[in-house]
Amino acid sequence: MKATIVGAGGLGGPLAFGLGAAGLELVIVDPDVVETSNLHRQIQFGPADLGGAKAPLLATAVTKRGGTARGYQTRWTTDDADDLSGDSDLVVDGSDDPDTKFAVADWAVANGKPYVVAAALRFGGNVMVGAPGAGCYRCLFEDPVPAATCAAAGVLGPIVGAIGGVAAALAIGLARGDRSHAGSIYVFDDLRASPDPRVVRFHRRASCPACARTKEVS
Amino acid sequence: MATIRIPGALRSLTAGADEVTVTATTVRGALAELERLHPGVAAKVLNGDAVKPFVKIFVGADDIGGLANLDTPINDRDEIAIVPAIAGG
Repeated sequence: MKATIVGAGGLGGPLAFGLGAAGLELVIVDPDVVETSNLHRQIQFGPADLGGAKAPLLATAVTKRGGTARGYQTRWTTDDADDLSGDSDLVVDGSDDPDTKFAVADWAVANGKPYVVAAALRFGGNVMVGAPGAGCYRCLFEDPVPAATCAAAGVLGPIVGAIGGVAAALAIGLARGDRSHAGSIYVFDDLRASPDPRVVRFHRRASCPACARTKEVS
Repeated sequence: MATIRIPGALRSLTAGADEVTVTATTVRGALAELERLHPGVAAKVLNGDAVKPFVKIFVGADDIGGLANLDTPINDRDEIAIVPAIAGG
């Protein structure tokens, strides 16, 4: 079983360790290098990694723990998606960029692959689960907007570990064939106050262009 | 009474309350009542007479964009969820 993890930062770290230790073969994609401001939440890296490419460093860390991973220092785009992720059985987004999240979800929908989109900010986060036939990320949020990011608004360090762990667990469920959470978004409003998510199940949107392309493909 | 679930980002405007109950019969009325109880919330959710593009409002499992938008009717036991898009990682 093979998975692509998009983003090797705060969410990508726990995703990679969780999925790698579960036996999934990983492709990790991220264009960035490690910066000092990352270290409070991207605990897979240390001071010795500063300036290094995140994706290869994370892949090495997974491999040292007995997993199988390859890291690519590049931005995941639909131009390279077939090469990077064409043989992946699922795709998990932990990037910090709205455009990338939509691109990952749209590509997964068009190619009939299950996927997870995770995001964390300040004291909480969201995890959305998608699979063929269910409501998709674009059904939910329609179009990329300049949504708040960690770089702009900040995030409490442990929050990404919690959200990334939930995303990893749901991704493992998808890898095992469990589609029961597809078309749901787990909303963690403030993990300092409550660990319990609010789960919103949503339906396919009739005017969703991503779902429409799926119909054309099929 | 219907219940509006308040996302963490807006709780500074609701004195920390994570849910607010309202007696309205539509989403529009529910938000107006929320605004009366906690001024400032509507400006975070609405852009004029429309929901801001990075905010989704659900009645139960249904996105109001696929129903009657702000005129979507609500019942006493409905739960209205405000879900903002975020992108941090």
